Amino acid sequence: MTYLKSWEEFEKAAEKLYLQAPSKVRYTMKYVHSKNQLILKMTDDVVCLQFKTEIAQDVRKIDKFINNLLRHMVSKEH
Amino acid sequence: MVLLENDSFLSELTKFFQKARLNGSVTMTFKRYDGRDRPIPRPDKPPDKLPEPHEHMCLVKAKFRSKKISTVIHQKDINKFQVAYSSLLKRQPGRIEEIKET
Repeated sequence: MTYLKSWEEFEKAAEKLYLQAPSKVRYTMKYVHSKNQLILKMTDDVVCLQFKTEIAQDVRKIDKFINNLLRHMVSKEH
Repeated sequence: MVLLENDSFLSELTKFFQKARLNGSVTMTFKRYDGRDRPIPRPDKPPDKLPEPHEHMCLVKAKFRSKKISTVIHQKDINKFQVAYSSLLKRQPGRIEEIKET
């Protein structure tokens, strides 16, 4: 499975995937401290999106994204 | 897999991150959860007699080495969890910057 090149690309694709089937999608993040790496994955078991970063700036954007995602997951929509 | 309360989950998660500083990694999974604890019946079988209450929650799992923990976040607890989780995550990338600069 290949990694998407930019965070923007991942965010857009992940949001679309999630909205297609909110109850099927899971979002996984793996943090490897020794390599200073954050690996993200969003999948509905059919499509799999991955992204990895070592930049702290991206982490801030990721944090915002997770916040939105969590908020939507517990909301009554859908 | 141990199902914990939100607070104890966060404190265990903090420990995971601390332990993973030397080597290893922490994996977290987020998924929408509707409270169902049994499999979805097959189409040819009669449907479940007791329909589950439908409330959207979020199932969060974390893994470090062989240790696995999980928690369910209800809508009313989401703000509290988010604040705690964000601050935990932000402490880690700080390290990323530090290391890159040296």
